[in-house]
Parts: sequence; C-alpha cells; structure tokens
Amino acid sequence: MSEAHDHGLPPKSSVSRWFLTTNHKDIGVLYLVTALFFLVFGGLLALLFRLELITPGADLLGSLGYNQAVSTHGLLMVFWFISPFAFGFANYVVPLQIGADDLAFPRLNALSYWLYLFSGVLMGVSFFQGSTFAGGWTMYAPLNTPAYIPGEGLGATSVVLALIMFTAAVTLGSVNFLTTMYRMRAEGLRMRDIPIFSLSINLTVWMMLFAFAALLAALMILTSDHILGTTYFQFANDGSTLATDADNPGASLLWAHLFWFFGHPEVYIVFFPALGVMAECFQTFTGRRLVGRKWFIISMVLVAIQSFAVWMHHMFLTGINLPIKTIFMATTIGISLPFDLMVFSLIYTMAKGRVRFTTPFLFSLGALILFIVGGITGVFLGAIVLDYQFRGTYWVVAHFHYVMVSGATALFGGLYYWYPKITGKMYDETLGKIHFATYFVGFNLLYFPMFVAWETPRRVFEYSQDLQIWHSMATVGGFILGASMLIMFYNLFVSLWRGEDVGDNPWAYATTAEWAVSSPPPLENFPGVPTYADGSLSFMDDEEVARRTSGPGGSGVAADGGTAADGGTASVTTAATATPATPAHEAAGEEHASHASFWPFLVSLGGFVAFLGLSGVRTGSVVYVSMAAVGGLVTVGSLFGMTREPFHAPEMPIAERWPFASVEKMKLGMWTFLASDIVLFGAFIGSYAFVRVAYGWSEWHHDLIPAEHVTMPGLINTYLLLTSSFLVVLAMVAAERESKKGTTAALAGTFALGVGFLINKGIEWNHLFHISTEMFPNGWNLSTNIASSTFYLTTGLHGAHVTIGLLICAYMTYRAWTGAYQGDDRAIEYFGLYWHFVDIVWLFLFPLFYIL
Amino acid sequence: MVPHAAIGVPLHGGDVRAPADVFNSIFEVFLVLGTAVGVLVVTYTLYHAIKYRETAGEDPYADKVERPSMGEMPTGGSGGRKVFYSFGISAIIVVSLIAWTYSSLAYVEDGPQIAGEEDITVQVEGFRFGWAFIYPNGHEASTLKVPRNRVVRLEVTSRDVFHNFGIPELRVKADAIPGQTTDAWFTASETGTYQAKCYELCGSGHSVMVAPVEVMPQDEYQSWYAGTNGTQNGSSNQTAASVGGAPA
Amino acid sequence: MDWKGYTVIYVVLFVFATAQAVVEFVGIVDSAYWLAFGIIMVLSVVKAVGVAAYYQHLRWEPRAVTYLVLGGTVAALALTAAAAYSIV
Ligand SMILES: [Cu+2]
Ligand SMILES: [Cu+2]
Repeated sequence: MSEAHDHGLPPKSSVSRWFLTTNHKDIGVLYLVTALFFLVFGGLLALLFRLELITPGADLLGSLGYNQAVSTHGLLMVFWFISPFAFGFANYVVPLQIGADDLAFPRLNALSYWLYLFSGVLMGVSFFQGSTFAGGWTMYAPLNTPAYIPGEGLGATSVVLALIMFTAAVTLGSVNFLTTMYRMRAEGLRMRDIPIFSLSINLTVWMMLFAFAALLAALMILTSDHILGTTYFQFANDGSTLATDADNPGASLLWAHLFWFFGHPEVYIVFFPALGVMAECFQTFTGRRLVGRKWFIISMVLVAIQSFAVWMHHMFLTGINLPIKTIFMATTIGISLPFDLMVFSLIYTMAKGRVRFTTPFLFSLGALILFIVGGITGVFLGAIVLDYQFRGTYWVVAHFHYVMVSGATALFGGLYYWYPKITGKMYDETLGKIHFATYFVGFNLLYFPMFVAWETPRRVFEYSQDLQIWHSMATVGGFILGASMLIMFYNLFVSLWRGEDVGDNPWAYATTAEWAVSSPPPLENFPGVPTYADGSLSFMDDEEVARRTSGPGGSGVAADGGTAADGGTASVTTAATATPATPAHEAAGEEHASHASFWPFLVSLGGFVAFLGLSGVRTGSVVYVSMAAVGGLVTVGSLFGMTREPFHAPEMPIAERWPFASVEKMKLGMWTFLASDIVLFGAFIGSYAFVRVAYGWSEWHHDLIPAEHVTMPGLINTYLLLTSSFLVVLAMVAAERESKKGTTAALAGTFALGVGFLINKGIEWNHLFHISTEMFPNGWNLSTNIASSTFYLTTGLHGAHVTIGLLICAYMTYRAWTGAYQGDDRAIEYFGLYWHFVDIVWLFLFPLFYIL
Repeated sequence: MVPHAAIGVPLHGGDVRAPADVFNSIFEVFLVLGTAVGVLVVTYTLYHAIKYRETAGEDPYADKVERPSMGEMPTGGSGGRKVFYSFGISAIIVVSLIAWTYSSLAYVEDGPQIAGEEDITVQVEGFRFGWAFIYPNGHEASTLKVPRNRVVRLEVTSRDVFHNFGIPELRVKADAIPGQTTDAWFTASETGTYQAKCYELCGSGHSVMVAPVEVMPQDEYQSWYAGTNGTQNGSSNQTAASVGGAPA
Repeated sequence: MDWKGYTVIYVVLFVFATAQAVVEFVGIVDSAYWLAFGIIMVLSVVKAVGVAAYYQHLRWEPRAVTYLVLGGTVAALALTAAAAYSIV
C-alpha cells in the first residue's frame, strides 16, 4: 500500500497531498507554480501601466491607480516572484545536488512555503481594502506613514504586514537551507565542491539571513507607526510644521538607510541563483567545466560580503557627507569587478566546447548578454557625477530591469533545464526556441528604449511629447514579452501529457547528482547514502553504512543519533518529546522519515487571518479585532500542535559537516536564527542611535525624556534577567545530574523571574504613560516624541522576545515536572541559547535607554 | 563679457564650467566607451557560442579538453588564464573611468570659488505638489528666477514628504527631505524658461509637481529682485502653505 | 563547566550591572558624559561576551559558531556606524 510506503503522504494526484507535504521536491513544485502565478499578477499590472504610458497623461488608471500599479508591480516582482521562483529550484535541486534526502527541517520548509503563499494572498486582499500601497516599492518615508496615505490606509498596512510575513518565510528558509548545507552534504563534498547552483544558493541564503533581518526591523517599525502610533518615520509630530522645526529630523533618512541596507544585498539575492543556473546550464550545454571555477566562487563570496557595504550609493543625493560618498563609491566599483570575472569565466567556458543551442542554453546565453548590458549601464551609475543626474530617472529603471529581468531570463532557462527532471517529460524544443526568440525581442523592445528616453522621471505618467515614440515602443515590447510567456505556459502545460518520457538524464554532459536518479526522483531521493569519498558519486547500501557507523573510527565523519525532530524556536522542546511519541516501528530503530504534516498550513492560515485583522484594528472594527484575536489563537495553537506532533527527520548517518561537525542540527538552526535576530535587534538599536544623532545626541536626553524616567526599574530588570539566565544553566546542570526536582525548580524560577521582569516593566510603563509634568502634561506615551517611540518600541520588542521565551519556558517546566530532560539536557540548552540572547540584548538596552 | 561695474555685482561671464557641461562631457565619454565595450563583449560572447557549436561527427577538441562525466566531483575547466587577462583589462577600464570622474566630483559638490563674485542663495521647499523658492530677502515665489552667468546655490528641503528637486536641462538635482537640508548649485549661460521637476514619488500629484525656472539677463533680474523687497513676502507663501501644508 | 563556575560568572555579571548604575548615581554621566559612556559600554560588552562565552557555551563550540555570531554583529554595527557617520 502506497500509503504506508509514503508515510502518510497521499499520491500526487490527490489534492490533499499538496496541503500535507513536507517533501522538498513537492514544496519546490509548489514554489514554482505559486511564483509563476505572481509573475502573471505583477506582469498584468505592468502591462496596465505600460498601456497608460503609451501616451502622456493618466487617462486610463487615474493618478492614484497608476501609483498603486507601479508600486505593487515592483513589490510583487521583487518579493513574490523572482526569489521564490529561484527557491522553487533551490528546494527541488539543492538537496539532490548535495546528496541530502530532504532539508534539515522539512516542516519548517513547508511552513516557509505557506507563509509565502499567504503573504501573497494578503497582498492581493490589500487591493480590496480601499486602495493598496501606492508609495513605490522602495516605500520612502514619510510617504509610507498613515498621515500621507489617502483614505483609511488599511490596504497599505496590509502590504507592510504581508511583507513581514514574507520576511518570516525567508528567515525560516535561510535557517533551514544553511543548516541543511552545513550538516547534510554527501561524504567527500567540501563546501567548495558542491555544485555551482547549490553554492550560489548557499551564498544567497547567507545574504538573506542578514539582509532580511534589517528589512524586518524596518517593517516592524513601520507597522508600529501604522498601528501603535510611534513616530519613527514622521519628521514632525503634528505632521504639518516646516521641516526646520522638525522633531525627528532623521525620519526619512532612517528609512532610506534601513531599506537600502537590505535593498542592495537584495539585488544579489535575486541575481545569485540566476547566476548559478547560468553556470550550470553553460557547463552542461557546452560540455565544459566552468573555467576559473575557483575564482568564480571567490568572486561570489566577495560580492556576498561586500554587498552589505555599498547601500549608500542609493543615497548619493541625500546630503550625506563627501567622505562617506567616496567610500561608498569605491566599494560600489569594487563590487562590480568580481562580476566582470564571472562574465568572462562564462564566456571562456564555451571555448573548445560542444555548444548545443537548446532552450535552456539560449535563455542562459541571452541572460548573459542582457546582464552585460545591465552591467555596463550600471558603471554609469557608479560615477557619482553621472549618478546625480540619473537619480529618479528611467536610466535607473532601464538599468535595473536589464539586471533583474536578466536574472529572471536565466531562471526561465532553469525551468526548461529542470522541467524533464521534475515532470519526467520533455518539453517541445521548437516552441521553446520560439519562446526565446519572442522573449528576447520583446525584452529589448521594452527596456532598451528606456535608455533613450532616460530623461523621463521615474513613476510619472506625464512626460514630454518628443519622448512618446520611445514609450510607445516600450509598451509594444512589453506586450510581446508578455505574450511570449503564454507560449511557455502552453508548452510546459501540454508537455505534461504529450511530452516524450525522459530517462534519468536527457542532457549530455550533465554531471550533478540530480541527473543520476530517476525523473522525477523517488521520495527518498537516492538508492543509498550518497558519497563522493573516492572522487565521484556512488551510493552506500545499508550494510556498508551499518559497518561504517558502528565500526571504530568511522572515517572521522560525525555520525550522531539522528533522533532530533524538526522544529523552530517554538518547538525547541521537540528534541526530547519526539522519542516517546514515535510510532513503534520507528522506535524499533527503522530510520523512516516523515513527509506529511498539516500544521504548517494551519499556522500560516492563522497568521494570515491575524495579520489581516491587525491591518484594521486601529479602526476599532469588531470584525478586524476578532480576526486578529482568532488568527492569533489559531497560530499559537497550531504551533503547539506542531510541537507535539511526532515527526521524524533523520540525520544522515554519514555526511560531510565542516565546519559544524560537532554542532547538532537543532543547535545550528538555533544559532543561525539567533544570528539573524542579532541583526534585527542591531537594526533597532542602530535606528535609535541614528535618529538620536540626527536630533543631537546630547540634547536628546534633556529635550525629550521626562525626569520621571529613572534608572532603577531598568537596573532591577537587569538583575531579574541575569538571575534567570543563571537559573537556566543551573537547570542544565540539574538535568545532567538527573535531578528532576532541581531541573523543575530551576526552570520554574526562570519562569517566575521572567514574569517579574514583565510586571516590573508594566508598572514602569504605566507610570510613564500617566505622568503629568510641565514638559509632558499628557503623559509620556508611544506618540509623545521620537525618544518615547524608540524607548517603548525597542524595549517592547525585547519584551515580546521575553514573552515568547516564557511560553516555551512554561511548557518546558511542565515537561521537566513530568520527568523529561533527565540525562539529556539538549532541549534546555537550545532554549537557553535563546534566553541568554534575550538577556544579552537587555545588557545593551539597559544602559542605552536608562543611563546614557 | 557683461560689464561688471555697470550693475554693481561681478559676474563670472559664462567662463565657469556649469554642472551641465561637466555632466555632458563625462556622459559622452561613458556613452562612447560603454557602447564600444558592450558591442565588443557581446560580439565576443556570440563568437564563442557560434564557433564552438556542436557539429556532426567527432568531437574536434577531444584531445585538447576532457569532457565532464556524470557524477564527477565538480571542478574547474582549463583555460583560466584568459579569464584573468580579460578581467584585468575590464577592471582597468572601469577603475580608471570612475577615478577620472572623481576629479570632477569635488567641483560639482562645492561649485566654483570666484573671487569677488557674489553667489545667489535660494531656499527651495518642496510640498505636495509644488515648489516654493525663498530668496535672501524673504521673498517667496513659485517661479525660480535667476540671472544668467551667476552661480546659484540652492538649499533644498521639504515641508512634508521626500521629494527630489531637479532641473534636467541645467543638470542640477538634490533630494528634498523633511528635516534635512541638501545643497546644490548651478549656473546658466542661456536666458530662457526651463522646468524644475520632482524626481521622487510623493503621491498622486507627483507627475505634475513642476515649477518654471526663468533665467533672465542680469539687469532684468536686478530690477525684479529690487521690487520684491519686504512687502511681497508671504503672498505666495499663503497659497503654497494651503496647498501643501496639510497632509492628506 | 560545573555550577561553581557558572556562579562565579553570575556574580561578576551582577557586580558589573551594579557598576553601570553606580557610574550614573555618582554623577559621572553629568560631569564627564563621554567617559561615562565609554565605561558603561565597555562593561556591557564584557558582560555580553561573558554570557555568550560561558552561558551559551561559545567557548566550547567550534570557532565557526562564533564567526556566525560575529557576522551578524559586524553587519549591525556597520549599519549603525556608517549611517550615523553619514549625517555628522
Ligand atoms: Cu545598490
Ligand atoms: Cu514630489
């Protein structure tokens, strides 16, 4: 019975499979299909405003409609189409390429997908809440705050919340991919040895981990400005006084810094997977190994690191000082050079090759050519003197579309490349070539005239008559480009039935492991445990694995138990809970992996309802408030359900794990997550420092903070948290010594101290809210001034972390009381990592917000 | 040369390099070089693709290169040296181009220092959806009037949201940020009417957020400016504030 | 590490936190602000390193985990420092 064989996973023909599945290949397919849906969504919006632009004036959409179309087109394409499309491939291909049977945390992977899908749905719903966000995809402040959003602005709030949900999906995904790639590589595959597509994904997720954390900070602050009434992004409290009387002169620039600190790495986050696909297709269809592979990889690593040090090239005209402009000009030019090397590496890979102009290769080659044009026109922008004049014009629009859509071009190549692997069928080659021809013509007809008409300001519908010919051409090009995609949809859809069956590998000279298994690959991916120990791919059977793992030495490769279940912050406790609840045949030692869980879908659905509710709570509407409450309950409840669910994700018995061989996967996942949380809090603290410097560091305390805001409550809370941290380590010590009483008492103490922390904070806040002094007659609350906003929001975010920690702590105290953790303190250790981190954050918040 | 003494204030007489000149000359070089490099590299790419296309029969390079095989450990192919030569050349071009433009940056930033010449400083305030120009004497207007052949310095800010002030023909541009002041300068040697535009999305009227810029002969400007003293202050201010002051 | 070691760390953390408050109570924040700023921030950093190294066991993990943490920290510091410097 297939039910038993697939471990509760219904067949692919059954709809329920797609709601239950946690298998990386299924999720990859879900990502691909969903991303293509958003491509159509964002593309139709683009066609709408290209139609508007065929002549000057807003006669079709109206000015607000036009701004909405432009803004959501950008957001949908950048966030909901291109990266998720790339991650469809990443999900499907990376585990296969590195020799893993799935991602490290399969349920978290499903959760990422569903959060992504529902964030997109929320984006769609925002159109029906009056109007959606209309302030451009860069969402500059203060146009992104309620004071300047027409109408009630609920749609705009929904968009911000949708982005937060999307960011949550990305962060979980980053943690998951990093843990997978560092813990689950086939034996013999050093990091530098993994196939180039997987390497590009590895660097992409590294950038995602840090960049999206900064974006999350910006979005959380913006949400708070929308819903809670903080004033981070408003320069004046009454919203109308002259700039020179500003209460918060750093408001606009703060957004710009946070957004572009994310935004520039985002360019490479979008482009790196495409580069990986291009390199992969070039190797296969030229029959040559990537020339200069080592330097190609070094280039990518350099770019990934340096991408966090170029963001101010988007802000050359904001009045930042000359030294900083010079530094960022230098880093910007510096970061362009590795791309030169990568381009030449691809070009020379063709030399002495056997180049076959298949559809995937045509798209890869086309992408390379478009990228060359995009790169050269980007050098123009690196020259500050030119950049000043290109700022806010179609030069920028044309340039970044040549870069970003060249990335999309490579990814379409990837779709043709892996289509036979995913479906087991071959697409129609002739139609593929016709698609490429129309696509390439449409693309250039759409974007090249924009260079010619570069004097047009961005995001306007009025432009001078003599540029009309170019804009009309671009519109025609846009429709050709759109139509070409219909050919692809038709081809790929029909080929599902009519396509020829393919074997394991339809492409001569393909080398990577996904082509060594059937098309589509079986649920468990490989016929045995893959290894590259003797220089090329082979599979070890059970016998050999058993011999290797039980024998002394075991060739130095770490081989640990593999009983830890999958889970995230909310389910750190599952490491210990899984074992007793595991079905008998698994407890008997059979390493059967689970592939189905309904909880990820439910968690995301709850999150969606909660966020939709949150978008409207400020209206006080019963519908919105109850949606927020019900959604919140469903989320927390299903997270709890997910924690209790027995789910088995075995670790590979033999794997390459440098440099994290001794860091168990749950622990590595936790540390990776904490690294992104460091950036989140760092960005909050950085925001505080920035607005304070903009205001005047020394005047800040005197002008904006009441004398009633004293050190004592902060000091008491420091003592409480330090002591609670101390108790967590004591709980570990007690668990090691198998003292049930000691473990329970220490955890209960931690809980009590955490609650004390929150109560103390509550008393303090309540007092400050209601002070009545000469300076602050109406209390000192979230909206009083920028200092109060930063204080309440930053310590509030910390308080939220404490609250989440307390929920986990309460659950663990109960588990300890029923006898868990004795002799195995790992779950307590992982919780401790989180709790101590929260403690460390407070060690900085205390002096910054209470003393200095 | 305009006779300086005749009107009391010395002019630079059009021999100052305007930002527009700087931009146009650099842009031209970039366009020529960029097109040349682009055509070259794309041709080179296509040449490789076509030259090494698969042909019927034996692999002509079978003895020169090893073809990859299924399941091999990923490694690099031979021929890396050429990559470095090409990369070196491209790096030299890019770095020297940018370094060359950097020498103009300081000038474009600070403007010319002309002995004896008095610059005109105008405050520019953006609002949804228009521009207000405030002169040293407090006069506020919705048209920017400046004399030809004089260095005009702008102090740009915003009354509400993020805008960007630019006069495309004169190649001057600066962000207009609430709470911040940004500086820019320009000079025009041709009299006439130009148009200032907004280059940062600022709401429903962004597309029509324009203002006329009049470059006038020095004496005409002088007499216009003399007539603005004190009294007119505030009239246009009122309209400006009522249109742009209150947020939506 | 046994409970004695953890206790020593705890006492040190407790004392340092108190020292930070003392710096304020004796008036250094008012009389020599940047000196006080320096002392207080250094104390915070020392405390943070102590918690991370001993309570979070970074000392005994592979160095790569420390680099991971430092990566996030450096990114956040770069953002803060460069952004603040750009407007001075
Ligand atoms: Cu950038
Ligand atoms: Cu504007």
